Amino acid sequence: MRGGDPGRKNYKKLRRLGTVGRIFRGWTGAQRALLETPSSKKLRSQTKMTARRRSHKARSIDRLAHIQAGGHLEEQTPRTLLKNILLTAPESSIVLPESVVKPVPTPQVVQTSRRESSRGSLELQLPEVEPSTTLAPGLLAPGRRKQRLRLSVFQQGMDQGLPLSQEPYGNADASSITSSLNLTFATPLQPQSVKRPGLARRPPTRRAVDVGTFLQDMQDTSLALAPPGDSLRTPVTTLPTDTVLEDTQPFSQPLLGRSPTVQHSLPCPSHSGAKDVERAVGHRTWSSGPRLQNSGPGKPAQLMAGKVEEVDALALGFPNTSSNISGEDGVEPLQNGVGEEAEGRMKEGLSMREVEEATEAQGSARAEEPEEHTEVTEAEGSQGAIEAKEPEGSSGDEDTPGRTASPELASSTPEFLRARRLQFPEPAPPPSTAVLTSEPPETLSARLPPRTRIPGPRPRQDPYKTGLNHYAKLFSFYAKMPMEKKSLEMVEKCLDKYFQHLCDDLEVFAAHAGRKTVRPEDLELLMRRQGLVTDQVSLHVLVERHLPLEYRQLLIPCAFSGNSVFPAQ
Amino acid sequence: MALSTTVSQRKLIKRKAPRGFLKRVFKRRKPHLRLETSSDLLVHLNCLLFVHRLAEESRTNACENKCGIIKKDHVLAAAKVILKKSRG
Repeated sequence: MRGGDPGRKNYKKLRRLGTVGRIFRGWTGAQRALLETPSSKKLRSQTKMTARRRSHKARSIDRLAHIQAGGHLEEQTPRTLLKNILLTAPESSIVLPESVVKPVPTPQVVQTSRRESSRGSLELQLPEVEPSTTLAPGLLAPGRRKQRLRLSVFQQGMDQGLPLSQEPYGNADASSITSSLNLTFATPLQPQSVKRPGLARRPPTRRAVDVGTFLQDMQDTSLALAPPGDSLRTPVTTLPTDTVLEDTQPFSQPLLGRSPTVQHSLPCPSHSGAKDVERAVGHRTWSSGPRLQNSGPGKPAQLMAGKVEEVDALALGFPNTSSNISGEDGVEPLQNGVGEEAEGRMKEGLSMREVEEATEAQGSARAEEPEEHTEVTEAEGSQGAIEAKEPEGSSGDEDTPGRTASPELASSTPEFLRARRLQFPEPAPPPSTAVLTSEPPETLSARLPPRTRIPGPRPRQDPYKTGLNHYAKLFSFYAKMPMEKKSLEMVEKCLDKYFQHLCDDLEVFAAHAGRKTVRPEDLELLMRRQGLVTDQVSLHVLVERHLPLEYRQLLIPCAFSGNSVFPAQ
Repeated sequence: MALSTTVSQRKLIKRKAPRGFLKRVFKRRKPHLRLETSSDLLVHLNCLLFVHRLAEESRTNACENKCGIIKKDHVLAAAKVILKKSRG
């Protein structure tokens, strides 16, 4: 029913209008405040008008909705017009607490007459009062002013040349008001979707990028990174610039050009020789240094994040990273924002590294680092950008153990450099080449020999030891007696032997069953042979005794409702 | 309904099984074999029982020597016995 409850099809419009209506409610409040200032006569009329307006708020909204549904001229709806005016009009307190608005029921007939007078008064006051105040009444009581609205619509059409709309009141009022107020139906600068200008989010302020300085920095970085005549160096050098470019919006075009090259270059570093990797690592440290400070952009941030994790896990200190950072300060001034987390972590990692390096012997650091890196890289999930790098990184880890020894670049660089190497295939102007060239040659030469020695046993040691440590702690718990440290090491050796036997036995059992997969039946057979599982003690009993609930549920089939058994057999 | 394979309610398991570690160890030694999901837990159970027996044996050895502390040689002797037992 028109005028009654809004139909369902009007619901959406109502909801849409509701936000606008709220603005106008606020306007009425402001209008009230403004109305209080002028003469008492006007005040009284205005207050009455405002009161009436408020009373008609709800109804006006409904009517408006109906009218709009019927009028189907969205551009000319009073709400939209007034909204535009609101948005473009000079500032005034638009949004007021709704508590200020209290609908006061009044007879509608009186309202209509009052409206006329009020309008007149409004029009008189228009030059004095803020436009916002005058706009609000326009929306009220749409239904009743059909006669006047026609006139006002005509007036509007005369004034503005706008097409006549069947919608009442709103257009007319707005037009009259605007004409008197010299307001224009300017479309607001903000998007139409913004219903509450006061609450609209500002577009994120971006630092104005100085192209000149940026290019200069790019040049510097590429210069610093690119080794003389080294193929890999160019990829490394390009990496920092790429990372710089990738994240800064205005420079998306250069990124596009570089990105394919980056991808192409990705396989290259993996096949590079040890020396190249070293150099790349060295360059990466340089590039990574400043990067860290500047909260490197997305990819490098990701890389850094992954690397940071590794670093944190490894806790290796590298004093040169700080020097590297200082050296490359000028390189990437513009990289801010994206990699904040990574930056923080990197900084932690760097600080950790620096501390560690100061204390640790290089040899042990070298030994640990590549192993740990490989382990960490393997253990940790691959992040988006890092995934491609990880296989490479792990391979790089194998290559870099010796390289990592030197405290300068190699130390922290293995992860960073690997990541950078992968990401920065394109040649970029090397940043502080002078600084780099002085240090890398020494470190490279120092790094080369140890690299060949260490790769093999490394990956087996630390995570393996930590796993054995886990069981050694259980041993000390089960023993219920104080133990020596050496006895714990002994326990770990025994566990190692035990695992060997275990794997051999399982292999035999699986082969006996003609399978290549070890299944729980094999395990049960093993335990039976060991004497753990007997006719009196079944496997399930042991499972219940020693394993936590979650694992028990996974191992012991249990019947559930619906004739289902979990785990399925 | 059947339970999910993930831990229900609480995410914290006391005495978590180092499933990744076990799988990696097995893969290192026998790369041509595969380890199934549930057998992973049973391997962990086996390790627990082995360590349990080892601890008991070491404790017995230490008590026989009237030591309040478990020493390396206690553990060594115990390991010899238990490893022989767990040969399968």
